[in-house]
Amino acid sequence: MTAFVVVGAGVAGATAAAKVREEGFDGELVLIGAETMAPYERPPLSKEYLRGESDHHFVRPPEWYAEHQIDARFGAKAERVNVSDRVVELEGGERVPFDQVVIATGARNRRPKIDGLDLPGVFDLRFAPDADAIKRAAKEGSKAVMVGMGFIGAEVAASLRQLGLDVTVVEFFGTPLERVLGPTLGGAIESLHRDHGVEMIFRDGAERFEGDGRFEAMITKEGRRIEGDFAVVGVGVEPVTEVADGGVPVDNGIPVDASLRTSAEGVWAIGDVARHDHPVFGPIRVEHFDNALKMGEHVAKNLLGTPAAFDDAHWFWSDQYDAEIQMAGFATEWDDMVVRGSIEDRSFSAFLLKDGRLLSTFSMNRKFDVRRSMPLIAAKAHPDGRQLADPEFDLRQLHPPKEQAT
Amino acid sequence: MAEWVRVGSAGSVPEGEITAFAAGERQVAVANVEGDLHAFDDTCTHQQCSLAEGELDGTTVECACHGSLFDVITGEAIGGPAVDPVGVFEVKEEDGELKVLVDEE
Repeated sequence: MTAFVVVGAGVAGATAAAKVREEGFDGELVLIGAETMAPYERPPLSKEYLRGESDHHFVRPPEWYAEHQIDARFGAKAERVNVSDRVVELEGGERVPFDQVVIATGARNRRPKIDGLDLPGVFDLRFAPDADAIKRAAKEGSKAVMVGMGFIGAEVAASLRQLGLDVTVVEFFGTPLERVLGPTLGGAIESLHRDHGVEMIFRDGAERFEGDGRFEAMITKEGRRIEGDFAVVGVGVEPVTEVADGGVPVDNGIPVDASLRTSAEGVWAIGDVARHDHPVFGPIRVEHFDNALKMGEHVAKNLLGTPAAFDDAHWFWSDQYDAEIQMAGFATEWDDMVVRGSIEDRSFSAFLLKDGRLLSTFSMNRKFDVRRSMPLIAAKAHPDGRQLADPEFDLRQLHPPKEQAT
Repeated sequence: MAEWVRVGSAGSVPEGEITAFAAGERQVAVANVEGDLHAFDDTCTHQQCSLAEGELDGTTVECACHGSLFDVITGEAIGGPAVDPVGVFEVKEEDGELKVLVDEE
């Protein structure tokens, strides 16, 4: 009997395993994940889950895997994908044979070399228990000291303010998210947080954390001393690639071709760990929920049929206070930004273009522009700037004709 | 017991659009696909967003919150994070009224 093994049980891996079964695969199917809890969605951990407004959202109900003859090994650590022996080696010595294996080991938080990072009361956020720890510490009226204002940092800052905490954030760049969004859009995020009472210190970083057995203060590189009840560090992630040591190449993640195949026969990689040769953007490693989900669905189809290129234009959302933020596409540099709506009123979309080509769309409180621009990004379209700027213009009019569904 | 409930006036859902109506305790979305009306539960099974705020593309509605996709005819979840289907209801326009067949709760 054919055996598929999925290593990593986050959204990408769990979706891949579920979809393979749902698409009719009746061979052996093993899903190996280091976390003991059944696979769950991570986006709520910095938002509604952290604020105690929702419980976990499971990828499938916890009992679903056994009901569908998936050998789910939650809480099991895969040490190596041994390509020549065609087995996944688990901690403890067990060897799980595969015909095809999907690596979906995800990413882990970067742990910068900061003195006192291991002090109790210094948190980071990646997994459900991390969110639980922050929740326990986040008592109304207490004070949080944060490092980093990327998307996770910005969302945690918003949630903590909503819970009634004082929040001070230190950020290396000149605005939140400046590296990703540039100073204008980063400034829009800054103003949002400023209005909600977050104290932000830019162009500074953490030098060390101090405390007598528990976090009491952060000393910054510029010499500030910021006291608080606990700290949250959010300074990015790195791909988890150790399992590839057994014969799968690694280079800033696990490189895969457009169809999600590694260069090792029968070995695929998806989700945050995959550095994907994207047909539109070129080699790119994406750390967002929707990409993990869609790659999981896609690799399932590729495992069962003729491999096809994955060409999703990438999309994610970030809710902060009452601002609904969305973004699609990918741009490291752009020479034109067309704005539709009003940045000041926090109801706008910003289209990032290079040489006239639409690379990425960012929006705040405008529901449709981002998703309607995705077919344009995927088609490498050069849309008219006046149409982009016109709030009345429906971007669907620019969509390329649809291919017939197969 | 199922019962036809008036939710609005005939013609109140323009072609290509979705509108949410209260039908007793429920919130029901009615989509107009090229003149054919389809009624379904307005609440996305992923995180309870209103599907009427989503985008209709052919017979597929895309939730505006997180991109879950549902077939408006069958209610089936066909993509995105939602797994469970939404309920579907019979819908008709009669005597100038828009009516949906819902179960008494």
